[in-house]
Amino acid sequence: MAETFELADRYFERYQEIIPGYEKFLASLAEPLPLYFRLNTLKLKDPESVLRGLRRQGFEVEPVERVPWFFRVEPREASLGNTEEYYLGLIYPMTLSSSLPVYALEPKPGELILDLCAAPGSKTTQIAQVTEDRAVIVANDRRLDRITALVANLRRLGVACAVTTVYRGEQFPMEVSFDKVLVDAPCSGEGRYRKGYEGELLYQKEGRTNLSGIQKGLLVRAYDLLKPGGLLVYSTCTINPEENEAVVDYLLRKRQAELLSWEAPLPSHPGLTEWQGRPFHPDLKKAKRFYAHEIEAVGFFVAKLRRTV
Amino acid sequence: MSRKNRKKMDPRATWPQPVSLEERARILQFLEERFGFSPEIFEPYEFLATSKNYWLFVRTPYLGDLEKIKVQTAGLLFLRKVSGYLKPTTAALQRFGRYATKNLLELDRLTLDRLRLEKKIPIELEIEPGYVILKCEGQIWGCALYLPGKLISYLP
Ligand SMILES: C[S@@+](CC[C@H](N)C(=O)[O-])C[C@H]1O[C@@H](n2cnc3c(N)ncnc32)[C@H](O)[C@@H]1O
Repeated sequence: MAETFELADRYFERYQEIIPGYEKFLASLAEPLPLYFRLNTLKLKDPESVLRGLRRQGFEVEPVERVPWFFRVEPREASLGNTEEYYLGLIYPMTLSSSLPVYALEPKPGELILDLCAAPGSKTTQIAQVTEDRAVIVANDRRLDRITALVANLRRLGVACAVTTVYRGEQFPMEVSFDKVLVDAPCSGEGRYRKGYEGELLYQKEGRTNLSGIQKGLLVRAYDLLKPGGLLVYSTCTINPEENEAVVDYLLRKRQAELLSWEAPLPSHPGLTEWQGRPFHPDLKKAKRFYAHEIEAVGFFVAKLRRTV
Repeated sequence: MSRKNRKKMDPRATWPQPVSLEERARILQFLEERFGFSPEIFEPYEFLATSKNYWLFVRTPYLGDLEKIKVQTAGLLFLRKVSGYLKPTTAALQRFGRYATKNLLELDRLTLDRLRLEKKIPIELEIEPGYVILKCEGQIWGCALYLPGKLISYLP
């Protein structure tokens, strides 16, 4: 039977011009994604007992130097989900780059923060941890089944500073204004694509929804939910400029948002100011692109913005 | 449900309500007397009540604003009201248990595993009957009930 599968190399060809070290990038797709976890510092500041426990169960665990509280685990194919450390809420398995949007957000105790697409909660729980459980977080997701997973994670990690809501992000009620909003948008997920033994593309998302349209709707609403001067972070785990720069560019045309630079703990490249002959706002260079082969984790895009009026 | 009806629903109906100062004092007194939790630990938090439970939620001037949105959960499920007693949840103890100074029960791995498996084990302890915090190999596991001669697990 003739299988019709898409070749990874063919799929990514369209990004040849924008991905630095393109050949290395393609080669890296044959490797399974590395495994990481974050230590839950709400419960434990000294990782020693966790490291000892995991090593006793046969895991190799090493701290990630550039990103505090993150650890890399081998074998990467293993699951941490049925370890005791997981059950006790001492660790949260998540890819390293998933920590970046919260770096851009710089959450502070006392701030009112909306996590508009929050489930299953890797970033919500990270915000709670960074602020020592003192930010006030509204963690929203449109899907009730995913909210259930989020609530379980909040309980497992012992977070007491979050409320959970189930709204379509585009229709989140305007009654409350926030200091900061995070839009970790639903996306095509290209940053996590891998290729199989025959070069076929793995983990490709199903369906042909208009992701860019959804992302624009979410980002504009997120902006409208900010207090004047409030901060907005937009992130995806895709390489596709239509879902990244084009979405931010759309906001810049619709609202008086300002792009800000920010410090990232991992190597990045500036956002694009042009794609397929179409120019974007020049400030888009302040957004950051992170590529899987350079950071040994899922590829990410992160833009930080401020509401000016 | 029609759109109109949904609009009419008061979001506050879904919100647990902050407890009075007296109720807070009662909760803190219980936590201190039974487990030796210093009330200071909970200073940054508010207790919110539903009919059967108490939730722990960060203290914030935004509470009134937040009550305008409809929530699924607010804060950490902290205590359950069980036939006149207060029972701390597993989540609460796994987070705050390390600050307890009383009725912390240190079990060896074998006894803990047996308790998890059999749910109830015979045991004689020098402690006042009531809820205890289970500890094993340095980690807090959750809650059990000690009654003369036996230990009943509340671990999920
Ligand atoms: C990339 S995931 C979020 C991951 C999460 N921030 C984390 O770090 O664990 C995107 C989420 O957006 C949710 N979502 C999709 N469309 C949405 C919408 N219109 N409004 C709100 N959430 C939506 C999905 O259910 C999914 O959980």
